[in-house]
Amino acid sequence: MSLTREFTKGIYKENPVFRLALGMCPFLAVTSSVENALGMGVAAGFVLICSNFLVALLRSVIPSKVRIPCYIVIIATFVTLVDLIMNAYLPDLHRSLGIFIPLIVVNCIILGRAEGFANRNTVPAALADALGMGVGFTFAMVVMATFREILGSGTWLGINLLGSPYSNQPILIAILAPGAFILMGFILGFFNMIDNRRKGGAL
Amino acid sequence: MADVLKLGIVLMLVAVIAAGSLGFVNSLTEPLIAQQKEKAKLEAMESVAVSIVGAGVPVTFDSLSVPGLANPYAQSDAVLSVVGVFSEGHKRGYVFIAYGRGYSSTIQTMVACGLNGEITASEILYQQETPGLGANVSDPDRFLVRFTGRNTQSLFLTADGGDIDAITGSTITSRAVTLSVRRGMEAMAAAGLFQEGGQSR
Amino acid sequence: MNPFLLPTILASTSGTPDSGFSFGALMAIIIGAIFINNFVLSRFLGICPFLGVSKQLDSAVGMGAAVIFVMALATLGSWVVYHLLLVPLGITYLRTIAFIIIIASLVQLVEMILQKFSPALYQALGIFLPLITTNCAILGVAVLNIDEKFGLGYSLVHAVAAGIGFTLALVLMAGLRERLDQAPVPRSLRGLPIAFLVAGAMSIAFLGFAGLGG
Repeated sequence: MSLTREFTKGIYKENPVFRLALGMCPFLAVTSSVENALGMGVAAGFVLICSNFLVALLRSVIPSKVRIPCYIVIIATFVTLVDLIMNAYLPDLHRSLGIFIPLIVVNCIILGRAEGFANRNTVPAALADALGMGVGFTFAMVVMATFREILGSGTWLGINLLGSPYSNQPILIAILAPGAFILMGFILGFFNMIDNRRKGGAL
Repeated sequence: MADVLKLGIVLMLVAVIAAGSLGFVNSLTEPLIAQQKEKAKLEAMESVAVSIVGAGVPVTFDSLSVPGLANPYAQSDAVLSVVGVFSEGHKRGYVFIAYGRGYSSTIQTMVACGLNGEITASEILYQQETPGLGANVSDPDRFLVRFTGRNTQSLFLTADGGDIDAITGSTITSRAVTLSVRRGMEAMAAAGLFQEGGQSR
Repeated sequence: MNPFLLPTILASTSGTPDSGFSFGALMAIIIGAIFINNFVLSRFLGICPFLGVSKQLDSAVGMGAAVIFVMALATLGSWVVYHLLLVPLGITYLRTIAFIIIIASLVQLVEMILQKFSPALYQALGIFLPLITTNCAILGVAVLNIDEKFGLGYSLVHAVAAGIGFTLALVLMAGLRERLDQAPVPRSLRGLPIAFLVAGAMSIAFLGFAGLGG
């Protein structure tokens, strides 16, 4: 497979959130605002790229029997790195994302790509894959966050879009817990609908 | 046997390299993080201290390590740290941080009060309450403005027999803030920090 | 000059009607973790197993029990390691690595125990057992205990209550999904979408618990 194919598959065909149903926890939790979604996407993407890189680089060095613990330690190291750097340079974002920063280490996407792809492919391929998955994850989160922030606070990235009458009485449920579940259900249903149309069946 | 040894060594190496690199990064970021926290605290303190001494008056802070200060959150060794507010060499009032367990986070409220034990200003430093409901406590006009001028006798919600109205739909958050601030003031009163009839402005 | 030299409040819980180790504080944590801040429906922790294992009631119950067990042990291990090792040595930044290693080892242990003493449950849980390692809820509760500055007793209570809340959500979902299989769901929504919509409805219901305790 060409490198571009490895990259683009993560964005739509094998989008980690909408297709592979991975990374649900942060996806639902931090998408109440686009700024948080972008922050989390970049943070998780960074960890994904670094860990895929290292795993692919060391794939012939790490013995198979201890590979999972090694991957976990590698991923946890990069997560801690991101945690420390964010705390030092972006304290407000760090505070908004809260416990979901250390939880990046159990983000199924990262361990999944390390175990399922990076450890049996070349470094460039692993990097392309990580980049694609990272972009796909961030893209999915920004889409969801756009819905939730506009509906739930009337703003996008903090810019008030719908005017003050709306932002005083927004559809609050969109930024609360139930809103995330409901919106996700409809988004997944929408993607299913597209697939069914393509296959020419009933909706 | 050699197999297990090799596995163990690889794991150890990975762990050691990981810990080492993190230690390095930590040494770089730790001072920065501590610096930012101090700066945020100082800014908040200065902004509430304005209510005690008036705007534009130079103010200095001095930490009061008061022994035997009653601990309202007795569980482990906890101390309520109070900072005295001084201007032109005279003590004018106090500033402290109250911690209250809210709905989904521990809320930090910074309170400034005068020597007579009346609150002059308060500000929410940190909260992660429900957006649109409890989170409104951060908006000073919605809730904290009702604290001004109150002392330990009058810091009660309507729901608890007083006359402070809680934010609609967020009784837990409102109560957490009120309770924590009152407890802090009671601790300070018990330590004899307040004087009757003192000037707060 | 450095005001606030002392790290201010190190209390286990604060702001509850009674201070100290009291029944009131305990109940607040338990009710909070199970209903008001349910780990799955409020905090969004543990979604993957919530969607994956909730298709049948018995595997849901089995998964829930395993999670409660791992949560309690993981909390014990992580709290002890954090407060008695990382804090005194000043290496709290190694928290994430230490916790995830503890959790991974514990899950391995549970797997071996189950394989030996309950092979049926081991088969039923299948791939989801090792996936408990990546269950955000377990690492989440360990980190929350530290962030909320709970003592060991409160931490354990919090962990078990969180596990019970997780199991509750799982079991409720399983019961509903068994019935959903026979319901006339539109084709696009079948499977994961309708599961999310049902979870959303449950989440709204649990939001109603916010009034509990005042």
